[in-house]
Amino acid sequence: MDYSAEVERRFDSPAGAGNVSGAGPGVAAGEAEDKVLNVWVRFEVQADGDTIREARFRVYGCPHTIAAASWIAESLRGAPVSALEQVDIDGVKRALNVPKEKLGKLLRIEDAVRACAEQLSAAAAPRADG
Amino acid sequence: MTRRRSIYLDHAATSPVDPAVAAEMMRHLGADGTFANPSSSHAMGREAALVVERARRVIAARIGADPAGLVFTSGATEANNLAVKGVLAAARPGRRHLVTTRIEHKSVLDTAAAVERYGCEVTYVGCDASGIVSPDEIARAIRPETSLVSVMHVNNETGMIQPIAEIAEVCRARRVPLHVDAAQSAGKLPLDVRRLGVALCSLTAHKCGGPKGVGALWIRDDVTVMPLLHGGEQQRSLRPGTLPTHQIAGMGKAFELADPAEEGPRLAALRDRLRLALARIDGVHVNGDPARAAPHILNVTFLGVDGEALRFALREIAVSAGSACMSDNPEASHVLSAMGLTDAAATSSIRFSVGRTTTPDDIDAAAAVVRDAVERLRRLALGAPEWCSTWRTARLTDDAVFG
Repeated sequence: MDYSAEVERRFDSPAGAGNVSGAGPGVAAGEAEDKVLNVWVRFEVQADGDTIREARFRVYGCPHTIAAASWIAESLRGAPVSALEQVDIDGVKRALNVPKEKLGKLLRIEDAVRACAEQLSAAAAPRADG
Repeated sequence: MTRRRSIYLDHAATSPVDPAVAAEMMRHLGADGTFANPSSSHAMGREAALVVERARRVIAARIGADPAGLVFTSGATEANNLAVKGVLAAARPGRRHLVTTRIEHKSVLDTAAAVERYGCEVTYVGCDASGIVSPDEIARAIRPETSLVSVMHVNNETGMIQPIAEIAEVCRARRVPLHVDAAQSAGKLPLDVRRLGVALCSLTAHKCGGPKGVGALWIRDDVTVMPLLHGGEQQRSLRPGTLPTHQIAGMGKAFELADPAEEGPRLAALRDRLRLALARIDGVHVNGDPARAAPHILNVTFLGVDGEALRFALREIAVSAGSACMSDNPEASHVLSAMGLTDAAATSSIRFSVGRTTTPDDIDAAAAVVRDAVERLRRLALGAPEWCSTWRTARLTDDAVFG
């Protein structure tokens, strides 16, 4: 398996790895896994109004998955909350030169990030019981 | 530019050519050397033939065989092909049944699959949780129409020494020839094919300080083998083609130098040093039974880390996976799966193999790098679900947990 220099750099120093400190309003987490693909991803975000202040991840997976999680975490920081719904998978593939057979793993990262969006959205929605 | 010296712990894959072997080979290459065709009848040809015969005697002596039974090949893969296909092709129709194991090297398993496509029948015998094949299972698999049993001496992934003497006894009692792939054991373990009752034995040069591209199949004189190749009278037409004098001489020199009595204990001490160092890391399992292990191989599962990520983290150390990395869907090692490991555990396993050039400093440095890599990847995966850290499938008990 060949790895790009960017994958190697992010694998050795995965910026964004870890957890968002503290809980509270604007903090959300999402997980996704695939036993067949041998991947598990957890994303945590902290939003302040419409802006993502912090994005962190934990990952069990291959070097491409680790590097992709790091790339996405960095790209989310400072982005509008709506970016959680539109993870730039094509951008990740181009930036890291991810082989197409690994697309399934990237989609699990997308699932984890979207789960964060859903949690934020659910928390923001007015409760039916008033 | 000076390249940082990598730590080479992949001697089960191949070993560096010993300087004495290289020097021996050089003597048979140039115009001043014994370069002539060993099959030629002129004086220079006869001189080259003597070189070949000298190497033949040395190699045969190392495995307790008669020199006349050795057929030189391009390596153990060809030798395994010649043994399996050659014996089955020579068997009478209706007697083309092969018994082998699920933990053989691909050069036997893929050959078995090929002969199945040609109409032969194959029975695959499993192993226990330690990676050991049962002679009783072999006995149960043998049928009246069985024409060959093929079992490796030392497993190339786990280093487990198979009970060849007992399996040979089973085969002898049923009058079925036993083929043994000794690619991993030659030069590391004592081997006496005549005393054991082995009928065919595959060898290679490059795993014990010899050159790549040469090996041999020893065939007992009462066993009939059909050739794979045609086109000459060399080697009793069993393996035609000009004999590569320099390669064969290199193999002979490597086998002369590879003395199991001298090298075995040194390699075992290095392997045990590594095993003890790695055992200090949590969640580490040694695959196989250390009491039945060849001296040069250690297979270890590192729970809770992805195998591909671990191998990349260890890229400055030359080691092998117990599996072929298939990127999106890593194929778990067929050997470790047969031993009952989960796919996640099988892909998180690493084979370390020591050799003549390995030093205690190499072992200590490698263990430190492995520890750092495993701890870093586990921190990254903090909170991962249990399946990422499950060693065995439920169908086998944890009766072989070490370290």
